[in-house]
Amino acid sequence: MTGVIERAPVELLGWFLGLLGSFGVPSWILAVVSAVIIIGTIIGVFLGLFALTSVMERKILARVQNRYGPNRVGFFRWRLCGLFQPVADGIKMITKEDIVPRTADKVVHFLAPVVMMIPALMVLAVIPYGRDMVPADLDAGILYFFAVGAGTEVAVFMAGWGSNNKYSVLGAMRAIAQMISYEIPLVIAAIIAAMIAGSLSPSAIVAAQGGFAFGFVPQWFVLTPWGFTACLVFYIAALAESNRSPFDLPEGESELVAGHLTEYSGFKYATFFMAEYVGMFAVCGMLVTLFLGGWQAPLPFLVIIPSWCWFLGKICFVAVTMVWVRATLPRLRIDHLLAFAWKFLLPMSFAAFFSAACWHYAGRGPAAWILSLAIVGIPYLILGKSFSNRFAVSRRTYQFSE
Amino acid sequence: MKFLGDWFVVLPAAVLLLAAGASVVMRNLIHAALCLTLSFIALGIVFIALGAEFVGLVQLLVYVGAVAMVIVFAILLTRPDRLEKSRTPFSGLGPAGGAAAGLAALVVLLGFIFSSPLAKKPLPAPASAPAAAIGEALMGDHVVALIAIGVLLTAALVGAAVIAMEDKP
Amino acid sequence: MNFPGSGIVKGLAVTARNFAGSYFEKDRLTTEQYPEERPVLPENSRSFPFLIYDGEDPESGMRCVSCKICEKECPPQCIFIVQDRDAAGKALKRPKVFDIDISVCMSCQICVEVCPFESIRMDQDYELSAFDRFAPLLLDKSRLLKPNSYYRRIHPTEAAETDARVESERKKKAAAAAAKEAAKPAPATEAAT
Repeated sequence: MTGVIERAPVELLGWFLGLLGSFGVPSWILAVVSAVIIIGTIIGVFLGLFALTSVMERKILARVQNRYGPNRVGFFRWRLCGLFQPVADGIKMITKEDIVPRTADKVVHFLAPVVMMIPALMVLAVIPYGRDMVPADLDAGILYFFAVGAGTEVAVFMAGWGSNNKYSVLGAMRAIAQMISYEIPLVIAAIIAAMIAGSLSPSAIVAAQGGFAFGFVPQWFVLTPWGFTACLVFYIAALAESNRSPFDLPEGESELVAGHLTEYSGFKYATFFMAEYVGMFAVCGMLVTLFLGGWQAPLPFLVIIPSWCWFLGKICFVAVTMVWVRATLPRLRIDHLLAFAWKFLLPMSFAAFFSAACWHYAGRGPAAWILSLAIVGIPYLILGKSFSNRFAVSRRTYQFSE
Repeated sequence: MKFLGDWFVVLPAAVLLLAAGASVVMRNLIHAALCLTLSFIALGIVFIALGAEFVGLVQLLVYVGAVAMVIVFAILLTRPDRLEKSRTPFSGLGPAGGAAAGLAALVVLLGFIFSSPLAKKPLPAPASAPAAAIGEALMGDHVVALIAIGVLLTAALVGAAVIAMEDKP
Repeated sequence: MNFPGSGIVKGLAVTARNFAGSYFEKDRLTTEQYPEERPVLPENSRSFPFLIYDGEDPESGMRCVSCKICEKECPPQCIFIVQDRDAAGKALKRPKVFDIDISVCMSCQICVEVCPFESIRMDQDYELSAFDRFAPLLLDKSRLLKPNSYYRRIHPTEAAETDARVESERKKKAAAAAAKEAAKPAPATEAAT
């Protein structure tokens, strides 16, 4: 029974293609149809998740801030706890007037949302959604993920420059500086998982986290000292890459009037918004794949629940923690942001890398665990202390008055 | 899809040449930089279509993600005003001289490529796990070169940091 | 336990407690969803004046005698009174027109303080918005007249006090009338004899 649900998406696709094939459809059209169906399903699921997340984020933020979130929009007099709010938002965005500044660079201004959306959707192709459910099982899948994800930076620059607005240009420069600073810890943390698993392919990394130690403890990378550190580094760098709080300086309203998004209204703004959320889900998916065991179940008897359900649940869990972090932490200033990336996250990612290598070569036994914990823990304490000393609140001294 | 196989290389190559030519000819500096970025992307796709997917993806990651951003930052930080109709100072030679110089460079390069031993050998079959094969080759046969490049890059980074650091008052 | 990053962990714990508490504890989520849940106003809150009438019929039971003291004392002059006259032209002790312009009224309650007949009091109804700026915001006599039972419901303490005063006034008047009645026949009989 569980096997049927587990295999259901793949079996359905195979049955449909077989049906078409029995009508004499040539095989290359079948390949195209299969690709279109898979792509359509993924885009449909992720856009649905985007809609749901936008309302869930507002409701969770509201509950944390002692108020109700949107709870009125429904249809035919069913309130549905406001879950139809994205429909209302979508209609609003589509019917808003599209204002383009008169002196803006028309082509660049128009293409920026398009160029932003394309990489956000393309990276969804290498994430394993379940057992044998990768749309494109590339050998260098992790590399593809980061290579295509680098396209968003070009889009941010195009948005900022094309608006012909000095605040947009400033916002775009800060956004690009933030993105390239946080890309290095992101990639190094991903490489740690690839190194231990021995392959750059995401499905191989998920398979390397299979099995249960002592019969019931899952062997996910997050449950090791180096894996926990790498997971945290990846998580923080992912928050920064998708411009989410507390790293949302480039698009904060009180900072730069929405930065590189200032001159966008209506559907183009909705496209940017959508690209940001889809990118957030894509990078959550990669975090789950690399460190949280992908579609594996946490306990042996929970294998009954299908693998793609586990994957979806884990992605939603990581997304909820991202909203939780947004509700808690204040926004970082640009110099604090960049200092944090270069002076804390980068050395921590190197420490985690070294710790993972030592764990592997020390035989993966108990001594290896203690050694790897020390290699990660000591730099963390030292770096953390130096940061809290540098930014500690102290008595104010005035340079030019006595 | 055998008959489409060649078009996967020819089309991106055509886009590459057109974008590179456009980026040379265009007046607006930012448009030229964006056309250059498009040519980088097209080159990456050419690499992937030729079967060297690792090199193609690294091309995208490094050139589009980092080099294009460096170009853009250089333009933004030095010339923030509107960049229409920027005139190049060395316009004495004119387009004919430039085309002649480019053609001469092309002929010389093609001569070198076709007379090298690499053009005579048949292409080896792509490895089953190209990333792993490249990794083993780098760490095995070419490890000295790799470490030398690493030392060089570290020196360059430290030098850049030293130059960019403010003087202490 | 003060490791680097402990501040963030404590902050996350506070946020999580707020989130969970908003479902179970009443005082964490203090939003009142307006059209369904109306706020409970204190007893002394006031919006605009209204006229009291005793008994069932507004026209015959109204306490206002059109003395026009409130019209004179109103600071922004938002009250307009025209005294009623009977067929012969003699002034009656009732207003024919009693208009209050609530777009001008500032709810200062001076009209209530100076009324000698306990006939004008402050209402609590604030849902008076209209689509026009002028005509619907000029409340006339028919909209201003409300029964004493309504007054007792919205301002119980004040109403109890007012009723006690009205009652004592009425008793005093009845006693004075009775005394006059008792005093009257004596001179008549004396005059008769």
